[in-house]
Amino acid sequence: MTKAFLHIKRFFILIGLQVIVLNNVQISGYLNPYIYILFIMLLPPKMPKALVLSLAFLTGFTVDVFENSYGIHAAASVFMAYVRPTVLSLVSVKGGEDLETIGIRQLRFARFFTYSGILCILHHFTLFYIEAFRLNEFIDTFVRALTSTVISLLIILLIESVRSNSHK
Amino acid sequence: MRNLFAFLYRHHVFFVFILLEIVAFGILIQSHHYQGSRFASSAQAWSGKVLEYFENSVDYFSLKKINHLLAEENAQLRNRISTSPISHKKNNALPHQYISAKVIKSSYNKRNNYLTLNKGRLNGIEKGMGVCVNEGVVGIVRDVTDNYATVMSVLNKHAVISSRFTKSNHFGEIVWDGKSHHFAQLRSVEKYVDVSIGDTLTTNSFSSIFPEGILLGTVNRFERDDSENFYKIEIDLSVDYSNIDYVYVIKNLHGKERLELESKLKEND
Repeated sequence: MTKAFLHIKRFFILIGLQVIVLNNVQISGYLNPYIYILFIMLLPPKMPKALVLSLAFLTGFTVDVFENSYGIHAAASVFMAYVRPTVLSLVSVKGGEDLETIGIRQLRFARFFTYSGILCILHHFTLFYIEAFRLNEFIDTFVRALTSTVISLLIILLIESVRSNSHK
Repeated sequence: MRNLFAFLYRHHVFFVFILLEIVAFGILIQSHHYQGSRFASSAQAWSGKVLEYFENSVDYFSLKKINHLLAEENAQLRNRISTSPISHKKNNALPHQYISAKVIKSSYNKRNNYLTLNKGRLNGIEKGMGVCVNEGVVGIVRDVTDNYATVMSVLNKHAVISSRFTKSNHFGEIVWDGKSHHFAQLRSVEKYVDVSIGDTLTTNSFSSIFPEGILLGTVNRFERDDSENFYKIEIDLSVDYSNIDYVYVIKNLHGKERLELESKLKEND
């Protein structure tokens, strides 16, 4: 029960940070960080996969409503949640089945970096290409997705290292 | 039959994935249709309330600037009244009504940008109305709920604003390539048209959304490629999209009449 509460709290904090703070910091079109995906990254590996997919949809859809982006965050988040087990098996021996939770403390920095990096790249590229939906903007969209991935990943790693240190 | 259930169960994760993706893309595709209600929009009462709450908490910081803008606009309007005697006579027949609204959320650095307003259907705002500020055109109302509305900004890949050169009356369409929020592109301007840097563009009378003569921008740069029939023109937008606090929603009182008439024409074709 307390674990469920922890995830619900994390959901509200990350969505709030995304919608109220980050969506209002508009430096350039090439820097659009999306850090709410950390919520999906940190869901327990043992959680039923269909439930993870549904939670990912809910998270993406909430951001969509605030961003007026009509389903694109939902689509990208669900895709990210679907490939999550595969990425998890890359960084842990038993595909994460032996882990209760995911975080820098469980995976160590290098493996957590790989895990969150791959997921962040997949999520952002899906998102930006669905958003542009035009092949003649291919290169521009690529640069946007890449720069935004870097900044998102930096913020995600920062939040995650603060979070895992405070839990000691 | 049992095999079928076993099959469905074994691959249920994949089916849930496909189902959720279909729903997400369904929302996206549905949003392109002008008709139809869009429930995934920040005009929803619950998200509108959250956005309004946080906008109100930072409101005080911009009061000074807004005061200044209003004073300037007042002065402009006074000048206009004193210089044009015609407007006095026509006053009763003005086909447009302006509704002021506050922006509670806006973006300008996404590929598709929207604004959320704190007024909605109960204040007379309807889908498809034009939105402007003193400096020029902002966008078109996209979704409306009872108390909130979202506006598709000119900075959106689905926005096409028809415009004309004030000096020559030639027509062009303004679109946005998604790169800088200061500049938009002008297309469909044929090569024989005389274009020079600094030419002003305003809305034309083709559409019933905006009244004629609202400022859009000035020509910043243009290119004439011999292999193509049209100019490549870059427009310096008159509105600073990074800095919009209050807007006017334009209600065209004769709009319905005009649309009815025009749809009759189409039927006859």
